[in-house]
Amino acid sequence: MPDWKEEVRHRLSGLKLAPPREAEIVEELAQHLEEVYERSLKSGATETQAKQTALREVAGDDLLKGIQRSQKRVSEAPVPETSGRPNLPTDLLHDLRYALRMLLKNPSFTIVAVIALALGIGANTAIFSVVNTVLLRPLPYRDADRLVTVWEDDSRRGFPRETPAAANYVDWCDQNRVFDGMAAIADAGFNLTGAGDPERLEGRSVSANLFPMLGVEPQIGRVFNATEDQPGAQRVVVLSYGLWQRRFGGETSIIGKSLTLNGDSYTVVGVMPARFQFPSSDDQAWVPIAFTTEQTGNRDAHYLQVIAKLKPGVTLQQAQAEMSTIAARLQQQYPESNADLGAAVISLHEHLVGDIKPALLILLGAVGLVLLIACANVANLLLARAAARQKEIAVRVALGARRLRLIRQFLTESVLLSTLGGLVGLAIAFLGLLLLKSFIPENISQAREIAIDLKVLGFTLFVSVATGVIFGLAPAIQAVRFNQIETLKEGGRDAATGGSGKRLRSVLVVAEVAISLVLLIGAGLLINSFLRLRNVDPGFRTDNLLTMKIVVPESKYTEFEPWSAFYTDVIQRVQSLPGVRSAAVITNLPLYRQGNTNSIRIEGTPEPPPGQAPVVATRVISPGYFETMSIPLLSGRNFTDQDLVTARNGSVVISETMARRYWPNEDPIGKRIAFGFLPLKSDEDWIQVIGVVKDVRQFELATESRPQMYLTYRQYALFAPRDLVVKTDVEPTSLATSVRNAVWEIDKDQPVSNIQTMEAIFADSLARQRFSMLLLAIFAGVALVLAAVGIYGVMSYSVAQRTHEIGIRMALGAQTPAVLKLAVGYGMKLVIAGLVIGLIAAFALTRLMSTLLFGVTATDPATFTLISALLIGVAAIASYVPARRATKVDPMIALRYE
Amino acid sequence: MPYKTSPVLDRELKKGSAELLILSLVEDQPRHGYDIGNLIERRSKGTLKFNLASLYPLLYRLEKRGWIQGRWVEKAGQRRRRYYRLTAEGKKVLAAQRHSWREFVEAINRITGIENA
Repeated sequence: MPDWKEEVRHRLSGLKLAPPREAEIVEELAQHLEEVYERSLKSGATETQAKQTALREVAGDDLLKGIQRSQKRVSEAPVPETSGRPNLPTDLLHDLRYALRMLLKNPSFTIVAVIALALGIGANTAIFSVVNTVLLRPLPYRDADRLVTVWEDDSRRGFPRETPAAANYVDWCDQNRVFDGMAAIADAGFNLTGAGDPERLEGRSVSANLFPMLGVEPQIGRVFNATEDQPGAQRVVVLSYGLWQRRFGGETSIIGKSLTLNGDSYTVVGVMPARFQFPSSDDQAWVPIAFTTEQTGNRDAHYLQVIAKLKPGVTLQQAQAEMSTIAARLQQQYPESNADLGAAVISLHEHLVGDIKPALLILLGAVGLVLLIACANVANLLLARAAARQKEIAVRVALGARRLRLIRQFLTESVLLSTLGGLVGLAIAFLGLLLLKSFIPENISQAREIAIDLKVLGFTLFVSVATGVIFGLAPAIQAVRFNQIETLKEGGRDAATGGSGKRLRSVLVVAEVAISLVLLIGAGLLINSFLRLRNVDPGFRTDNLLTMKIVVPESKYTEFEPWSAFYTDVIQRVQSLPGVRSAAVITNLPLYRQGNTNSIRIEGTPEPPPGQAPVVATRVISPGYFETMSIPLLSGRNFTDQDLVTARNGSVVISETMARRYWPNEDPIGKRIAFGFLPLKSDEDWIQVIGVVKDVRQFELATESRPQMYLTYRQYALFAPRDLVVKTDVEPTSLATSVRNAVWEIDKDQPVSNIQTMEAIFADSLARQRFSMLLLAIFAGVALVLAAVGIYGVMSYSVAQRTHEIGIRMALGAQTPAVLKLAVGYGMKLVIAGLVIGLIAAFALTRLMSTLLFGVTATDPATFTLISALLIGVAAIASYVPARRATKVDPMIALRYE
Repeated sequence: MPYKTSPVLDRELKKGSAELLILSLVEDQPRHGYDIGNLIERRSKGTLKFNLASLYPLLYRLEKRGWIQGRWVEKAGQRRRRYYRLTAEGKKVLAAQRHSWREFVEAINRITGIENA
């Protein structure tokens, strides 16, 4: 069969087309000829006749001329030049119209650029709306910038923000001259009984001046007055809007009604507005704190939160100095209790958002970097396009267009592009926020109010325009900075294709690689931390555990026996339910980030100096607790029935860390301890260590286990157990109702709340880490894709530019692998350069996120290596694909290409 | 023997209608160049015939204008072929060309009395 490709190629030798396009045309036309040839053969022609028939189709020079004509550029509409003085509004309108036309003419370019920009701008808008709501928006209180929190500074024992004791608070109030007022808040929970199911309400007891200090008026009724904030005054309560609506149907007649809280009667005096969530969104009721004289004399029970309002003109530093002076005075006055105790003044805003701030700022930085990569990509696209438009520009400059005017034209185009990106980005941000809200852990304050407001819109507009200028300026200047005479000459090399244009594109690729490496490493570190955190052994098994709160009010049982019998009955009845393997109670379940501690004496050791007695975490449990939670006993024994009578000598089970800490190289079993806060009166006050259990991450997963002791409620009414935990043989939540009913059979007024599985508690405790990790991982993924697209684009362009060279090499016998190596090598050089810069930057920047990490250092070598390898792999693929295509080009065509 | 029409008129008629013909043929389904050429010849019963040298430049021009778009398509057991399909813009152009062609033909018919006026 004749070589139709050769026939066609021969006839098109005068054609000057890009080699890939020419190869396509040759292939297509050769196919056509072959079909004609074959049809002739089928209809009975000889091979020679058939060949002649086919060749008649391409006789003469019609084909060459026709194709040449067809390939001529569709002429560009020149920018209308205004003559004489520039007319700004008209010019702008012209520019806009022209820019719009240019964008519509290249829909694929426009779509790619808009998507890249929209991803970048959308991510920025979404994260900025979170930052705006959580960090920037002032708190919804009067003179919010003057509100501060005041803490005891007990840094020596590891508590730089310790909740103050009432006596210290009273002294602070009396002695300071920097605050317009101070208010105290204490945790208070209420069992609401009477109408309907008993219910557990979280709430606070607060100073009467708290509401006026915050400047929040009640929705209906009134807040407390000073006389109600006295011990023995009539009991009054202010309800939250949510509780009022949910439980009392929003009836205004609620004011003046009385409710039974913890068995006492309280008169409702007011309802706060819906937006009032103070100190936290869980709070549903507030009562006066009404300190007794006993309380105001106590410097050992640290349980208050103190809010204060700075006097006008007083700075935070002045207030801190004053409070430090007062604290020093109290140290002198009360060395027993106040040794080393300072005071810390922290703005209320900082206190509320302090925890989440580093994560949010890092995310904001990360999306900024994503946007930079998007900019680099679009700049690259524009550079390539500017190269293609050289002749158009040259003609216009030759016709007298001012360069500044041309730059403005280019900028109009890029800003129009980025504004389009911004609009689409806004839609992405809107959807992203819906998603983000479902990821935001509940405990981030104000999370529910996050929305796109005017400030966010302003931010998006600013970012869009700035983005357009940033990625548009370089190509614009590039495009007009060339010798138009050269370009106008036939065959003149384009400025943007060689020399500086290529350099600029290479720089952009290097920058993209460097930035995405930083993001990827940041995400890698967070993922690494998260996996390690999730794999931390909490010290107990989380599966098949159902938990719930049963909080018994102090006022309910004044005698020990009925109090203790309540828990025993509950455990017995729950254990007898089908599907229940065992049940237990404890004061605070692990991972709830709360619990009690006690100072202790250790028999046989000298009395420590004041304020330096050993402090251990204390949990009051029922004997079945270790079994229910699958906490292994390491030595000694568990509580037995003998321990469950209020014996002369009590017994305690301790954690392995406590054993190691206080009885190193000794068997702790049989050793004795006593409570540090009680004077030692007789031998009966000693408590004997009977067993050692494995450590449990009591506070949170990330915190190492501290020394810990377990007592039983049958011996010590030190703290009342609040949590019921049930080990089940079946899916735990399926037993929720029957367990609750079992409790109600014993006490129909006992609220049962927070019913959830231990696995849910475990997952919740990781919510914040999961949130930052997911977001950063998403951004890093977007960055990786954008960078890969960028590398691919530049490589495609560079390979196309080097087709001639590749053709010569292949004609001279270079094999495909050698050519591939050459082309990929160029791309990889850029990637390696970016990698080196990125690694240096990452070394410097990841330190900023060390507070977010767990179990890995900010410069974890494994993460750095793995991520670098990932990026190299992706970059290699992105440069291999265009290089591979280059080797497919017909050498004959490539050689003619010039 | 019928009178031969002038070659100039023939060529101009062909030129004026060629775009319309190609756009119409790729309207419902993508077709490759050989197929298009064949169809024109078959459906016109041999009256209209495009050789390669006139067909492909026209296809490339239409593609350059963004009215049709060529794509390499590989089917099992066949070599790859370049199929052309109508773009959204091409659709509008086709509608406009059909309209003016119809008007033109009707006008010619009214003047020349080819149909019973």
